[in-house]
Parts: sequence; structure tokens; C-alpha cells
Amino acid sequence: MKWLLFFGALIGLSICGREKFFGDQVFRINVRNGDEISRLSQLVNSDNLKLNVWKSPSTFSRPVDILVPSISLQPVKSFLKSQGLEYSVTIEDLQALLDNEDEEMQHNEGQERSSNNFNYGAYHSLEAIYHEMDSIARDVPDLASRVKIGHSFENRPMYVLKFSTAEGRRRRRQPAIWLNAGIHSREWISQATAIWTARKIVSDYGKDPAITSILQKMDIFLLPVANPDGYVYTQTQNRLWRKTRSLSPGSRCVGADPNRNWNASFAGEGASDNPCSEIYHGPHANSEAEVKSVVDFIQEHGNFKCFIDLHSYSQLLMYPYGYTVKTAPDADELDQVARRAAKALASLSGTTYQVGPTCTTVYPASGSSVDWAYDNGIKYAFTFELRDTGHYGFLLPANQIIPTAEETWLGLKTIMEHVRDNLY
Amino acid sequence: MPPRRQPQPKSGPEGPRPAVLLLAPLLLFALQGVAAAPAAAGGREDSPGLQDAELPRGLLQQAARAALHFFNFRAGSPSALRVLAAVLEGRATVNPKKECQVDLVFTTDHYNPEDGEEHLGKCSARVFFRNQKPRPAINVTCTRLIEKNKRQQEDYLLYKHMKQLKTPLDVVSIPDSHGHIDPSLRPIWDLAFLGSSYVMWEKTTQFLHYYMAQISSVNQWKTNDDAIDFDYTVLLHEFSTQEIIPCRIHLVWYPGKPLKVKYHCQELPTPEEASGTEEGSAVVPTELNNF
Repeated sequence: MKWLLFFGALIGLSICGREKFFGDQVFRINVRNGDEISRLSQLVNSDNLKLNVWKSPSTFSRPVDILVPSISLQPVKSFLKSQGLEYSVTIEDLQALLDNEDEEMQHNEGQERSSNNFNYGAYHSLEAIYHEMDSIARDVPDLASRVKIGHSFENRPMYVLKFSTAEGRRRRRQPAIWLNAGIHSREWISQATAIWTARKIVSDYGKDPAITSILQKMDIFLLPVANPDGYVYTQTQNRLWRKTRSLSPGSRCVGADPNRNWNASFAGEGASDNPCSEIYHGPHANSEAEVKSVVDFIQEHGNFKCFIDLHSYSQLLMYPYGYTVKTAPDADELDQVARRAAKALASLSGTTYQVGPTCTTVYPASGSSVDWAYDNGIKYAFTFELRDTGHYGFLLPANQIIPTAEETWLGLKTIMEHVRDNLY
Repeated sequence: MPPRRQPQPKSGPEGPRPAVLLLAPLLLFALQGVAAAPAAAGGREDSPGLQDAELPRGLLQQAARAALHFFNFRAGSPSALRVLAAVLEGRATVNPKKECQVDLVFTTDHYNPEDGEEHLGKCSARVFFRNQKPRPAINVTCTRLIEKNKRQQEDYLLYKHMKQLKTPLDVVSIPDSHGHIDPSLRPIWDLAFLGSSYVMWEKTTQFLHYYMAQISSVNQWKTNDDAIDFDYTVLLHEFSTQEIIPCRIHLVWYPGKPLKVKYHCQELPTPEEASGTEEGSAVVPTELNNF
């Protein structure tokens, strides 16, 4: 920790003076008596060697730490040897050490959001995610609460985090935003981005004017794992499982595509009636408990203005419709918002997203969450397909979680700010 | 899952003739009827009205992907794999048999992006899709980015690296569930991708395109003095149907020599069968592809 302070000072110095320390070394010199100290002072005071004392001797038999620039290494070594002064090299290359520290600090800053040892830069079990949601709610009970909205086919709880201010709660039924994630269980970057976003919201509230003003006008509901049964299955049995785990009487195949199960052109183009298909729409709309839970909650609430669904992969930002090529009435506005959001997202690391209506940007898809939301009066309805574009696909390396979450956050904020400024 | 429809050829007094469709910024395609595709049910024929439709943007991407898979396979070089960057221009012709010829120009990126290096390659290709029959016919030329000798050198280094791997390989899947590939195993992934390129080329149609999702098992890894003999099972992700297709691939590779590939992919499940993704059992290759 002490070193960090030294380095902090040095970094400060270096930023101001643009100094670098390539090859510079720190010598620890043992001074045993006053005579040795005065001889050392001689060395230190010589202008041309440009030595820098880090720790000067206050008493005898305490070592002296001196920063020796690389060009002065030879003369200093010769001097010390000729004077019989004992020394050791404690830092062999100061710049290398500083660079390492820098990297580590940046790394830790990214991980900083973790509390209770929850590493946001890693993929987690369902239990761990649920536990972290609970932690967040306990950390800031005035801002966040964990709400059970229903259960899955295999009877796992469906938890959302509700973010609202005390004032908002006083006003009752504030206009709200729904952030949906993990509906397709194999798209792990979606759940991971969602839980990072949860922590980000509570960390930045009161500090970032954007999220602060958003929360003053609206509530945010975040469902990080919309398909808990599927998620557990990807962890235990089949990493590439997509659907729910519901059983179909009369078929040996399991599960329906929860993003074809919503009541928006249900069983139309872009879904399958084959229970073994990855895009099987299910026996009827809202047949999947996971979907019904969300539908019931949103309808009961009655005041949602925005619905965003996080998926992977392809790097796309899309708006209705998926079930038809017909242009949505608000397509122009949604397109503009989406383009601004994609631009904001790209501003962080250059990650480019394509923008457009679902049907023509990716493929026809009926019974999707976003189409249902839109057709039910939730105008600002968007689908994100997060990183990447196919190199790793669903198996996105964990070291891309935080970069993805950070850039996505900029896109999400852009959309939420627009909603805040265009409440209807 | 209905794939994107091809625009119908014009039908005038002289009878149907091939329609020449030029690239346009707008994408438009009808959703009438359902063409035959693995997981979709049959449907009615679509009605006319698409004669003047612009080309679906997707078709050029499809052609570019097929061309690139083919290019990578023919190049036979795991250290010089390319991916699609962007389609620059293209045009397509559809004949009465609904076969589709696409001429296009596109840019490519290095498959393994080296930090700081941005060497965009450029390719021009003619791709002939045979109305959802496999093996689109491809003619593709790309600007040479690396000298042949340098490429062979890099391949040979990879080859030597691979020979040093301890067999039997102590690995289950690549990448693991968390997307991690051990650096020492990276060459295996690249070689598997090379073999998969052959498979993905053959299977790509106007409507179907693939990504390599994961190597789910390494069945055999033999390194001789004159070849790497690699037998593995790969999971391909087909995008429009979202299906995961296990394919057993057996390849033989030596730097500088053409790649030899045999493969067998699992058929997509019908309603009566259990989902293929449940079992993941590999099937012994029965087809001789290009050995």
C-alpha cells in the first residue's frame, strides 16, 4: 500500500512532467554511520547524476532508498563500490513496475464493483447471481429491492431488481423501464451484462447526472435471468441450450423458445411448430411460465414506457417489428434513437452495431417479447444483440464481460435518457 | 423457420425470364409461404409482386460468407484465416430454377486479430447458389496479404507447435464454457476452424449460414512427420434456424499441402426424434468427401 502512495506521487509527477522511468532503478543503501551518510550526500548532491532520494536516513542503520536514472547507473555503482557502501537493487526497472501497477489498478477498478467477492468479470451460477441481487438490494434498500415476479417451469423463482427513489415511490406507479436479459439461456453475456448493469445503476446514482435524473422520473425493473431453468441447464448439461425446460406432452423434446412465445403474431412467420426446433413457439401464447410471469407483471403495473431485451450475438440494435416487414408507426423515431445509442456504444471501444427493424436486420421472428411490448403500448422497445459477431459467438470469453457491459451501458443510457425526455 | 424469400423472376408475355436485380440500400422481402428449410413446415407458394423487389441485403452477406469459407479451405493455412469485414458491392441474378448467381466484392480481416495490425484484404467472387442444394459453386480471388513463403513459415511453426502437444490431448471442449481457450491449444482451434470451413462452405445456401461454436470433443490427434491427423466433433451454429449441428470431422493437414477433409453432420431432428442437441453422440463418418 505504501508503495502505491510513492507510485501515486511519481505517476502524478510523471503525468505533469511527462517523465518516464525506463530502466531506472531503486537502490537501497545501508548506511552504518555518519561518515557514510555524508559520503552518500556527496553523491546525491551532485547535479549531473540526477538522483532522487526516496527515503533519507533519519537514524543510523536505516537504509536509504535512492532512485537512480538509467544513465547514472554505472557511475553510481562505481562510486558506491569505491566507497565501500553496501547496497541492493530493490527495483530493477521502475517503468515496468509502474506499467504493471497501472494494469493491475485498471483491472481492479473494473472488478471494483464486486462486493462480497462477486467478480463482475466472470460468469456465475444462478445462485450466485440471485445472491448478488439480494446483496445489491441490501446495500441500498432506499434505491433497490429484489422482487419475485413468478417462477419457472421447474419452480425456480423469477427475481427482478426494482430501482426507484423514495420520491418515485411516493408518486406511485411512476413510468417504468423494463430491462430483460437471459431469455435465451446460452447467451451468457446477456445475464452477465445485466448483473453488472444492476451494480452500475446503484453505484452511479447520485453521482452520474444522467442515471440520477432518469431515476427521478422513472423506475427501472431489471430481470437478469429471464430463463432460469435454461440457465442452470447450460451450466450443468448443455452449454448451448437456448429454450425453456418445459415438457411437451407427446414429444420427447424439451422446451419452447421463450422469445417466440409472446402474444404478438404468435405462431406466425419466423417460428416453428416442431417441439424439437430451437424456435418452437410452444403450444400457445404465454404457455411458458417464464413469459407469463413477465406479461402479468407488466400488465398489472400498466405504466411501462420502455422495454429492452438483451441477447447475443451479432452486435445489432433493433426495434419492431420481427413478425412483419411492415414499418412500425414509430420506426423513424426508434431508428434515430437506436442510431444515437449505437454511436454512444461505439464511442467506448469502437464496437460497431448495425441498426434496423428486426425482421429485415436479422430474420423474421414472431411471438417476440419486443413486438409484444410495442403492440401493448410500450413505444420504446429495443433488442440488443451483444458481442461478438461470430468468432466466439455464445462462448464469449469472460474477459470481454466488463468491456461489453460498459459499452452497452452507454447505449442503454442514451435510450433511457430519450425516454425520460419524451414521456407520453 | 421460413428463410428469406428470393424475389420471383419476372413473368411477362414471353414467359418467365431471369430477373437481374441490382444492389439497393433498401431491403425488402415477402413473408408469403414457407420454402423448404430444415425445421420449417411446408407452406403455400407465394404470390407475385416481388418482381421489382430490391435484393435482400442478406444475400450478399451469404455469398461473401460462402466465398470466404471456400477461400479459407482452399488456402489450407490455419495461420492465414480470414473473416468477412464488409461487403462493398454486388449484384445478383436469379434464373427460373431459382438458382442464384451473385457477383460481389468484399473486404476481409485477419481471423486472429493481431493487436494494432489492421490489414484489410479485398476479394472479388462469383457465387452460384443452387436453390438450397449444398455446395455453392465459388470462384474467388483475394489480394495477397502475406507472401506465400512467409505464410508457409508460419504454418510450419504452427505445425511444430502442434507436434509438441502431449497426446492424448487432455481436453474436453474448446473453448470451455467460459469462452476460454488455453493459448497452447489455440492452434487446435485454428486447425479445427480450417476443417470446419470446408463443411460450412458446403452447407451454406442463400438462407443458411454457419458459425463454429465449439469443439465438443477431440477424438483423435495424431502427429506424424508428414501430417497432422485430426478427428474431432464440432458444434456448428446455424443462424436463421438457431440450430446447433454436431459434425464429426476428420482432417489431414501438412503445411503447404491441400487440406483433406471427411465429415458427417447430424441431421436435424424431426418431431418424432429427440432433440439432437440433447444427445451429442458423434456418428462414424460414412462419407468420403475429398480424401
